[in-house]
Amino acid sequence: MHDPDADDVAKAGQGDRAAAARLIGRHAPKLLTVARRMLGAQAEAEDAVQEVFLKLWTHAARWQPGKAKFETWLYRVMLNQCYDRLRRRPTAPLEAADDVADGAALPDTGLDEGKLGEEIARALEGLPERQKAAILLCHFRELGNVEAAEIMGISVEALESLLSRGRRSLRSKLEHLKGFAGDR
Amino acid sequence: MTSENSDRDFVDRALRRLPPPASSSRFEAALMAGYDAWNGEREKGAWAAFKAGLRGFSEVIWPGAPVWVPASALAVALLVGAGIGAALPAAGTVEQSGFSLEQPESFTLFASDVTPEEDL
Repeated sequence: MHDPDADDVAKAGQGDRAAAARLIGRHAPKLLTVARRMLGAQAEAEDAVQEVFLKLWTHAARWQPGKAKFETWLYRVMLNQCYDRLRRRPTAPLEAADDVADGAALPDTGLDEGKLGEEIARALEGLPERQKAAILLCHFRELGNVEAAEIMGISVEALESLLSRGRRSLRSKLEHLKGFAGDR
Repeated sequence: MTSENSDRDFVDRALRRLPPPASSSRFEAALMAGYDAWNGEREKGAWAAFKAGLRGFSEVIWPGAPVWVPASALAVALLVGAGIGAALPAAGTVEQSGFSLEQPESFTLFASDVTPEEDL
Protein backbone atom coordinates (compact mmCIF):
# COMPACT_ATOMS: atom_id res chain seq x y z
CA MET A 1 0.00 0.00 0.00
CA HIS A 2 1.63 3.26 -1.11
CA ASP A 3 0.97 6.19 1.18
CA PRO A 4 1.14 9.38 -0.90
CA ASP A 5 2.04 11.44 2.18
CA ALA A 6 4.79 9.23 3.59
CA ASP A 7 7.66 11.00 1.82
CA ASP A 8 6.52 14.46 2.79
CA VAL A 9 5.96 13.43 6.41
CA ALA A 10 9.50 12.08 6.66
CA LYS A 11 10.98 15.17 4.98
CA ALA A 12 8.97 17.57 7.16
CA GLY A 13 10.24 15.73 10.22
CA GLN A 14 13.79 16.50 9.11
CA GLY A 15 13.12 20.20 8.66
CA ASP A 16 12.03 20.38 5.00
CA ARG A 17 9.77 23.43 4.90
CA ALA A 18 8.45 22.75 1.38
CA ALA A 19 7.27 19.28 2.43
CA ALA A 20 5.50 20.80 5.43
CA ALA A 21 3.81 23.36 3.15
CA ARG A 22 2.61 20.57 0.85
CA LEU A 23 1.11 18.66 3.78
CA ILE A 24 -0.63 21.78 5.03
CA GLY A 25 -1.97 22.61 1.56
CA ARG A 26 -3.25 19.09 1.06
CA HIS A 27 -4.88 18.48 4.43
CA ALA A 28 -5.57 21.72 6.31
CA PRO A 29 -8.68 22.84 4.37
CA LYS A 30 -10.42 19.45 4.72
CA LEU A 31 -9.44 19.11 8.38
CA LEU A 32 -10.76 22.60 9.00
CA THR A 33 -14.08 21.77 7.32
CA VAL A 34 -14.65 18.74 9.52
CA ALA A 35 -13.40 20.48 12.69
CA ARG A 36 -15.61 23.51 11.98
CA ARG A 37 -18.68 21.30 11.70
CA MET A 38 -17.72 19.28 14.76
CA LEU A 39 -17.06 22.27 16.97
CA GLY A 40 -19.35 24.89 15.50
CA ALA A 41 -16.98 27.84 15.92
CA GLN A 42 -14.42 28.86 13.32
CA ALA A 43 -11.82 30.10 15.81
CA GLU A 44 -11.99 26.93 17.89
CA ALA A 45 -11.79 24.79 14.76
CA GLU A 46 -8.65 26.69 13.67
CA ASP A 47 -7.11 26.14 17.12
CA ALA A 48 -7.91 22.43 16.92
CA VAL A 49 -6.34 22.09 13.46
CA GLN A 50 -3.24 23.97 14.67
CA GLU A 51 -2.94 21.49 17.54
CA VAL A 52 -3.27 18.61 15.09
CA PHE A 53 -0.43 19.96 12.95
CA LEU A 54 1.79 20.56 15.99
CA LYS A 55 1.23 16.92 16.94
CA LEU A 56 2.04 15.97 13.37
CA TRP A 57 5.39 17.82 13.38
CA THR A 58 6.47 16.25 16.67
CA HIS A 59 5.61 12.76 15.38
CA ALA A 60 6.83 13.27 11.81
CA ALA A 61 10.47 12.34 12.45
CA ARG A 62 9.38 9.06 14.05
CA TRP A 63 6.67 8.28 11.48
CA GLN A 64 6.82 4.68 10.30
CA PRO A 65 5.22 4.28 6.89
CA GLY A 66 3.30 1.07 6.45
CA LYS A 67 2.12 0.91 10.06
CA ALA A 68 -0.98 3.01 9.39
CA LYS A 69 -2.10 5.29 6.59
CA PHE A 70 -1.01 8.81 7.40
CA GLU A 71 -4.37 10.38 6.60
CA THR A 72 -6.18 7.90 8.87
CA TRP A 73 -3.84 8.82 11.72
CA LEU A 74 -4.27 12.55 11.01
CA TYR A 75 -8.07 12.41 11.11
CA ARG A 76 -8.02 10.29 14.23
CA VAL A 77 -5.89 12.91 15.98
CA MET A 78 -8.24 15.62 14.74
CA LEU A 79 -11.34 13.79 15.99
CA ASN A 80 -9.74 13.27 19.39
CA GLN A 81 -8.94 16.98 19.54
CA CYS A 82 -12.58 17.78 18.78
CA TYR A 83 -13.90 15.27 21.35
CA ASP A 84 -11.61 16.75 24.02
CA ARG A 85 -12.76 20.26 23.27
CA LEU A 86 -16.43 19.28 23.23
CA ARG A 87 -16.06 17.52 26.59
CA ARG A 88 -14.32 20.50 28.16
CA ARG A 89 -17.23 22.76 27.30
CA PRO A 90 -19.61 23.64 30.08
CA THR A 91 -22.91 21.77 29.67
CA ALA A 92 -25.49 23.95 27.94
CA PRO A 93 -28.70 24.70 29.83
CA LEU A 94 -31.59 22.46 28.80
CA GLU A 95 -33.66 25.32 27.39
CA ALA A 96 -30.89 26.20 24.96
CA ALA A 97 -30.58 22.58 23.83
CA ASP A 98 -34.30 22.42 23.20
CA ASP A 99 -34.08 25.41 20.87
CA VAL A 100 -31.85 23.47 18.55
CA ALA A 101 -33.75 20.23 18.65
CA ASP A 102 -37.25 21.62 18.30
CA GLY A 103 -37.70 22.11 14.58
CA ALA A 104 -41.41 22.85 14.87
CA ALA A 105 -40.65 26.17 16.52
CA LEU A 106 -38.62 27.35 13.52
CA PRO A 107 -40.19 29.13 10.58
CA ASP A 108 -40.56 26.78 7.61
CA THR A 109 -40.67 29.40 4.90
CA GLY A 110 -38.84 32.55 4.00
CA LEU A 111 -35.35 31.35 4.94
CA ASP A 112 -32.62 32.74 2.76
CA GLU A 113 -29.56 30.63 1.94
CA GLY A 114 -27.58 32.03 4.88
CA LYS A 115 -30.30 31.31 7.41
CA LEU A 116 -30.84 27.88 5.94
CA GLY A 117 -27.16 27.09 6.37
CA GLU A 118 -27.34 28.26 9.98
CA GLU A 119 -30.35 26.02 10.65
CA ILE A 120 -28.61 23.00 9.16
CA ALA A 121 -25.39 23.75 11.05
CA ARG A 122 -27.26 24.08 14.34
CA ALA A 123 -29.11 20.82 13.78
CA LEU A 124 -25.80 19.12 13.02
CA GLU A 125 -24.20 20.56 16.15
CA GLY A 126 -27.03 19.14 18.22
CA LEU A 127 -26.19 15.56 17.24
CA PRO A 128 -24.23 13.30 19.63
CA GLU A 129 -20.53 13.69 18.87
CA ARG A 130 -19.93 10.23 17.43
CA GLN A 131 -22.94 10.37 15.12
CA LYS A 132 -21.78 13.79 13.99
CA ALA A 133 -18.24 12.55 13.37
CA ALA A 134 -19.49 9.58 11.33
CA ILE A 135 -21.68 11.78 9.13
CA LEU A 136 -18.96 14.40 8.63
CA LEU A 137 -16.25 11.90 7.73
CA CYS A 138 -18.49 10.16 5.21
CA HIS A 139 -19.94 13.34 3.74
CA PHE A 140 -17.14 15.90 3.72
CA ARG A 141 -14.22 13.54 3.35
CA GLU A 142 -16.17 11.26 1.05
CA LEU A 143 -14.59 8.34 2.86
CA GLY A 144 -15.78 4.79 2.48
CA ASN A 145 -17.28 3.15 5.55
CA VAL A 146 -14.18 1.02 6.10
CA GLU A 147 -11.82 3.99 6.26
CA ALA A 148 -14.19 6.09 8.36
CA ALA A 149 -14.61 3.19 10.80
CA GLU A 150 -10.83 2.85 11.01
CA ILE A 151 -10.45 6.54 11.82
CA MET A 152 -13.08 6.30 14.54
CA GLY A 153 -11.63 3.07 15.89
CA ILE A 154 -14.90 1.16 15.57
CA SER A 155 -16.27 -1.68 13.45
CA VAL A 156 -17.94 -1.02 10.11
CA GLU A 157 -21.25 -2.26 11.56
CA ALA A 158 -20.98 0.19 14.45
CA LEU A 159 -20.24 3.00 11.99
CA GLU A 160 -23.25 2.10 9.87
CA SER A 161 -25.41 2.13 12.96
CA LEU A 162 -24.10 5.59 13.93
CA LEU A 163 -24.68 6.87 10.40
CA SER A 164 -28.18 5.50 10.29
CA ARG A 165 -29.20 6.98 13.65
CA GLY A 166 -27.47 10.27 12.94
CA ARG A 167 -29.12 10.72 9.55
CA ARG A 168 -32.55 9.83 10.91
CA SER A 169 -32.13 12.27 13.77
CA LEU A 170 -30.84 15.04 11.51
CA ARG A 171 -33.66 14.52 9.07
CA SER A 172 -36.26 14.73 11.82
CA LYS A 173 -34.73 18.03 12.93
CA LEU A 174 -34.69 19.43 9.41
CA GLU A 175 -37.94 17.95 8.13
CA HIS A 176 -39.63 21.33 8.27
CA LEU A 177 -37.01 22.60 5.78
CA LYS A 178 -37.78 19.81 3.36
CA GLY A 179 -38.68 22.21 0.61
CA PHE A 180 -35.15 23.68 0.75
CA ALA A 181 -33.16 20.56 1.42
CA GLY A 182 -35.02 18.56 -1.18
CA ASP A 183 -34.67 21.04 -4.04
CA ARG A 184 -31.45 21.43 -5.97
CA MET B 1 -36.06 3.83 -2.14
CA THR B 2 -35.54 2.48 1.39
CA SER B 3 -35.96 4.76 4.35
CA GLU B 4 -32.22 4.57 5.03
CA ASN B 5 -31.30 5.64 1.50
CA SER B 6 -33.90 8.35 1.64
CA ASP B 7 -32.41 9.66 4.93
CA ARG B 8 -28.93 9.59 3.41
CA ASP B 9 -30.00 11.55 0.34
CA PHE B 10 -31.88 14.07 2.44
CA VAL B 11 -28.89 14.64 4.74
CA ASP B 12 -26.43 14.81 1.83
CA ARG B 13 -28.56 17.47 0.15
CA ALA B 14 -28.88 19.40 3.40
CA LEU B 15 -25.13 19.29 4.12
CA ARG B 16 -24.35 20.53 0.63
CA ARG B 17 -26.20 23.71 1.59
CA LEU B 18 -23.72 24.45 4.35
CA PRO B 19 -21.36 27.25 3.43
CA PRO B 20 -17.75 25.97 3.32
CA PRO B 21 -15.62 27.35 6.15
CA ALA B 22 -13.09 29.85 4.95
CA SER B 23 -9.58 28.38 4.91
CA SER B 24 -7.71 31.60 4.53
CA SER B 25 -4.12 32.11 3.49
CA ARG B 26 -3.73 33.76 6.90
CA PHE B 27 -4.65 30.47 8.55
CA GLU B 28 -2.22 28.50 6.40
CA ALA B 29 0.47 31.07 7.20
CA ALA B 30 -0.25 30.52 10.91
CA LEU B 31 0.20 26.77 10.40
CA MET B 32 3.53 27.40 8.65
CA ALA B 33 4.57 29.67 11.52
CA GLY B 34 3.78 26.79 13.86
CA TYR B 35 6.00 24.55 11.77
CA ASP B 36 8.84 27.11 11.76
CA ALA B 37 8.62 27.47 15.55
CA TRP B 38 8.74 23.70 16.00
CA ASN B 39 11.63 23.40 13.55
CA GLY B 40 13.56 26.15 15.36
CA GLU B 41 13.11 24.31 18.65
CA ARG B 42 14.15 21.06 17.02
CA GLU B 43 17.37 22.59 15.65
CA LYS B 44 18.10 24.22 18.98
CA GLY B 45 17.46 20.88 20.61
CA ALA B 46 19.86 19.12 18.27
CA TRP B 47 22.59 21.73 18.91
CA ALA B 48 22.01 21.55 22.67
CA ALA B 49 22.24 17.75 22.54
CA PHE B 50 25.51 18.00 20.56
CA LYS B 51 26.98 20.46 23.08
CA ALA B 52 25.91 18.31 26.02
CA GLY B 53 27.49 15.26 24.38
CA LEU B 54 30.72 17.17 23.78
CA ARG B 55 30.80 18.39 27.38
CA GLY B 56 30.22 14.87 28.67
CA PHE B 57 33.04 13.55 26.51
CA SER B 58 35.41 16.30 27.65
CA GLU B 59 34.55 15.52 31.30
CA VAL B 60 35.64 11.94 30.68
CA ILE B 61 38.97 12.77 29.06
CA TRP B 62 39.83 15.95 31.03
CA PRO B 63 37.61 16.33 34.10
CA GLY B 64 37.02 19.86 35.31
CA ALA B 65 38.50 21.58 32.26
CA PRO B 66 36.45 23.76 29.96
CA VAL B 67 35.60 22.20 26.59
CA TRP B 68 38.20 24.24 24.69
CA VAL B 69 41.12 22.67 26.62
CA PRO B 70 40.66 19.05 25.44
CA ALA B 71 39.54 20.37 22.05
CA SER B 72 42.80 22.34 21.73
CA ALA B 73 44.85 19.38 22.96
CA LEU B 74 43.19 17.20 20.35
CA ALA B 75 43.85 19.78 17.63
CA VAL B 76 47.53 20.09 18.62
CA ALA B 77 47.87 16.29 18.67
CA LEU B 78 46.34 16.11 15.21
CA LEU B 79 48.73 18.78 13.90
CA VAL B 80 51.76 17.06 15.41
CA GLY B 81 50.64 13.73 13.96
CA ALA B 82 50.10 15.27 10.53
CA GLY B 83 53.52 16.99 10.70
CA ILE B 84 55.31 13.79 11.62
CA GLY B 85 53.47 11.93 8.90
CA ALA B 86 54.53 14.52 6.33
CA ALA B 87 58.17 14.56 7.50
CA LEU B 88 58.72 10.81 7.38
CA PRO B 89 59.87 9.34 4.07
CA ALA B 90 57.20 7.58 2.06
CA ALA B 91 56.99 3.78 2.38
CA GLY B 92 58.16 3.19 -1.25
CA THR B 93 61.47 4.91 -0.66
CA VAL B 94 62.60 2.68 2.20
CA GLU B 95 65.59 0.61 1.15
CA GLN B 96 64.60 -3.00 0.59
CA SER B 97 66.62 -5.63 2.42
CA GLY B 98 67.56 -8.95 0.86
CA PHE B 99 65.43 -10.77 3.31
CA SER B 100 62.09 -11.97 2.11
CA LEU B 101 59.33 -13.64 3.98
CA GLU B 102 58.31 -15.45 0.85
CA GLN B 103 59.01 -19.16 1.13
CA PRO B 104 61.24 -20.79 -1.44
CA GLU B 105 59.35 -23.11 -3.74
CA SER B 106 61.20 -26.19 -2.46
CA PHE B 107 60.63 -25.48 1.18
CA THR B 108 58.52 -27.91 3.18
CA LEU B 109 58.25 -28.52 6.84
CA PHE B 110 58.63 -32.27 6.30
CA ALA B 111 61.69 -32.05 4.16
CA SER B 112 64.60 -32.88 6.37
CA ASP B 113 68.23 -33.10 5.48
CA VAL B 114 68.89 -35.63 8.21
CA THR B 115 68.67 -39.30 7.33
CA PRO B 116 66.46 -41.67 9.32
CA GLU B 117 69.57 -43.29 10.78
CA GLU B 118 70.81 -40.01 12.08
CA ASP B 119 67.41 -39.35 13.50
CA LEU B 120 67.60 -42.51 15.51
